[in-house]
Amino acid sequence: MRDAGRVEVLVVGSGAGGAVTALELANAGIDVCVLEEGSRWPAAAYGQGSVAAMRKMYRRRGMTPILGRVPIGYVEGACLGGSTEINSGFWHRTPREVLLRWKAQFDLAEASPNELADHFDHAEKWLDVSAYGGPLPKSTEAFSRGIEAMGWASQQVPRAAPGCKSTNQCAAGCPTGAKQGMSRSVIPRAQAAGAKVVTDCAVERLVLEGDRATGVLATLRRENGARELVRIDAEHVFVCAGPTETPALLRRSGIKHHVGDSLRIHPMLKVAAYFPEIIDAQDSVLPLLQVKEFWPEISMGGAFFTPGHLAMLLSDNWPDTRDAMGQYRQMASYYVAVRGSGRGSVRPSLLGDGAPVLRYELSHEDGINLSKGLARLATLLLAAGAERVHPTVQGLSTIRSEVEAIRWLDERLPLSALSLTTVHAFSSCPIGERRDRCAANSFGKVHGYHNLYVNDASMLPDSPGVNPQGSVMAFARRNAIHFKESLRA
Amino acid sequence: MTWHGYRREVASAGSQRVAVAIVGLAASAMFVGLAMRHLDFASVLRSLRSARLLPWVPAATAAYLAGQLVRGQRLRVLVRRESTLSLATASNVVVVGYASNNVFPARLGEFVRAGMLAKLTGIPLTQSLTITFIERLLDGIAILVLLLIGTATLPARPQWMWDVARVGSLVFGVALALLLVAVVLPSFLVSLASRVSASLRPRWRDRVVAFAMSVTAAGACLRRPRDLVVIGAYSLLVWLLESAMFAFILPAFGLELQLAPALTAMSVTNLGILFPSSPGFVGSFHFFCSQALVAQGIPAATALGFAFLVHLTFYVPVTLWGAGAVLFYGVEIGATAAIARAARSSSNATYEQGVPIHRIAELDPPRPGPPASEFDVALVEALLSKEPDMVDRASVDYVAAFVAEEMRALPARLAFLYDAGMVAFRIYVRLRYLRSFCGLGVARRQAAMHSWAFGPIGLLRQLFRPARSTALLAYYDRCEAITKPRRGLELVANA
Repeated sequence: MRDAGRVEVLVVGSGAGGAVTALELANAGIDVCVLEEGSRWPAAAYGQGSVAAMRKMYRRRGMTPILGRVPIGYVEGACLGGSTEINSGFWHRTPREVLLRWKAQFDLAEASPNELADHFDHAEKWLDVSAYGGPLPKSTEAFSRGIEAMGWASQQVPRAAPGCKSTNQCAAGCPTGAKQGMSRSVIPRAQAAGAKVVTDCAVERLVLEGDRATGVLATLRRENGARELVRIDAEHVFVCAGPTETPALLRRSGIKHHVGDSLRIHPMLKVAAYFPEIIDAQDSVLPLLQVKEFWPEISMGGAFFTPGHLAMLLSDNWPDTRDAMGQYRQMASYYVAVRGSGRGSVRPSLLGDGAPVLRYELSHEDGINLSKGLARLATLLLAAGAERVHPTVQGLSTIRSEVEAIRWLDERLPLSALSLTTVHAFSSCPIGERRDRCAANSFGKVHGYHNLYVNDASMLPDSPGVNPQGSVMAFARRNAIHFKESLRA
Repeated sequence: MTWHGYRREVASAGSQRVAVAIVGLAASAMFVGLAMRHLDFASVLRSLRSARLLPWVPAATAAYLAGQLVRGQRLRVLVRRESTLSLATASNVVVVGYASNNVFPARLGEFVRAGMLAKLTGIPLTQSLTITFIERLLDGIAILVLLLIGTATLPARPQWMWDVARVGSLVFGVALALLLVAVVLPSFLVSLASRVSASLRPRWRDRVVAFAMSVTAAGACLRRPRDLVVIGAYSLLVWLLESAMFAFILPAFGLELQLAPALTAMSVTNLGILFPSSPGFVGSFHFFCSQALVAQGIPAATALGFAFLVHLTFYVPVTLWGAGAVLFYGVEIGATAAIARAARSSSNATYEQGVPIHRIAELDPPRPGPPASEFDVALVEALLSKEPDMVDRASVDYVAAFVAEEMRALPARLAFLYDAGMVAFRIYVRLRYLRSFCGLGVARRQAAMHSWAFGPIGLLRQLFRPARSTALLAYYDRCEAITKPRRGLELVANA
């Protein structure tokens, strides 16, 4: 019989992985409690601009850089719903070739496209994933012109944002409620099924006894600002704190076997393009098309745009580019992202509060792909009618002609001049049957522990090459169902 | 806690107090016996009767009370992150602790003082106790430094004084190492506590972890090198003033006013009374003080008389001051003890939103960081302004505040590197322009900043990248953009 002072399943984190885990387990009648470090924000707090969102919804107020020879800007959510509250809502199923590679390299069991199809179907139904229904924004039209001129393969990416009102507030939390972040879609379902959610509860450490996790030590923040150190006991613990916090929490708790050793990201180089016509990208949803011609190594698409984000984008060459701010209504921003074949790590900091320290070193291949990607993206935009393109490369303030652009097909951009960003991180606790490579088995059970699981972006064995939210939700559902069945057995 | 539980706690506390008092009195009796053995008591009385009290006792008292004010100032710096105390309040807290030590046995005053500090500042009791421990540790180190100086300058250097210094160095060295771990590696300490206590019962495991958390929270006051230096300097000043009290009493017995004997007497005495003993350290104080002087060739009867007078010099004023402070603040010693007991963890879970939660400890609430500095404002102004257009003051202040908050949000290591880099930049500006960055006009500030932020050295560019990016983001997203022909963009603050 279960101890009354003990939760049956504790889920640490309420993002794409944690929310789905909670829903599946609660649906099965299991006593589930979700602990979320961030706050639950009311609808009025959404869509209040970048600065307000960074203060409320971003981890460390958006200051979580990835260190390396080329520092990379990285942000993730830290509120109820995690990063799904501040992403663009783009949806991809895990590509078939990626799954095959994971099977080959990590001996990942029961993860074929057919075996995952039902999980994707469920997730898409929860989020009402669909194509954008409104008129295409001008930034997308311009991109589309370029794609057509180049004759490249592309797709309009479906989104988890039915009825999107094109307010351009994705990164600040959708104010209309169209975007189906976890706080709007999955978590209410989980709560309706009986899951409990405690917000403002930062898990500091797992409490371990031998090969079992018996609960967590957490800091609970009260409404009046007071804080308490508490212990919450549980029979099973799912760590779904995201690709950076999950490995940091495991390592802080003394679990290190292939934990935090293999962080992967999609390094991203942005450009701003100036068009002769008014685009007003700051008033519309970000460009919805993605170029797939060079996938999986290189992808291109549209980036979030506000005057502030444009200024950040131009800031590497600010003395030369600041005047372009006067023409921001004729500008839009785009990105080139590469699959990321470099290697990274996550370690809890010894100094200070034990926050994760992220490291990633670009591979030689990454450098080449970014250079080629910039050449192709700039060519595409110039073909679309852009008069100039400003990349986030120090010393390369403007590309005005296709000849200037294609130079980077053959030459490599100097790494020290790159200003890179990413919003996709994963693989810091890879799953699979290869114990020599993986932190957990194919269903997320941490190697060496009987009742401890990882079930978020950290579990993806390697880069999926696409926006990871779909993959995370499908795998999380699959793992939760497997757990449920093993519990019954 | 239920009423019966409270009664049990009170009964338990009562029996503990009796046991402590018995041990303290026994220790005291032992030291009195040691001090008095082979001594002609009449000669001690003669020595006391012949003592010249004026002007030496008032001077000694003044030095001692000045030391209490410095202690109060040190306490203010130690709790600055958690609370703002006035000098008077901080000094009263310190004095209540000393006065309580004079009334209660076994240094129980330390607990009274920690309880009072917790009550006045709202910081958790365990953290308050840890701050008291840090103060004692700093005291010990300062006393050791003064003992070494005093002993080295004495004509006669008894071996036992060196031995005391050696043992003291070992004890305080180990304690200092542990404290430094808590200060520099807080996360490691809590992890260690969690792992070490893994095999204990949950109740004890919680206590170990809570203690570690408290120590790390209290150690945060020493994390800034500048604070560490200031607190260390105050500690030395406290004990120099206490040495002055000892020195001023020397002429009262016809001895020469000298610092070295006073330093050694003060140091040996205070190291000696670390042993828990009777209220007011009666016995132990007299034993160690007189022995320190005897070792310097002073007759035993004079030395013991000196010890009596020094003891009275600190005992009477601080006890009266402490009693006044207790009356003023209405601190009930029993209530303080009850607070201490209530802070202990309960093994029973309480339910919150239906979730069973075991409370372990209160933690210090997060404090808002300092506002943007003058340098932050100057930097932002240089970044945003474009000659001849100046950005409006409200926008600069808003952006500077945001940038300062963002830089504080950086992970600890990066925040440190950013701060260090900016110090280097300011030194560069001072050398290059012979003026401070803030003292330069906007054009020169921009030139200086551009030479780093957009210069050829990648590392320097990276140093400015976070501040540059966040400043531009905040500024342009805050402002309403209005395009004007030929003038680029003019931005008008929403405010």
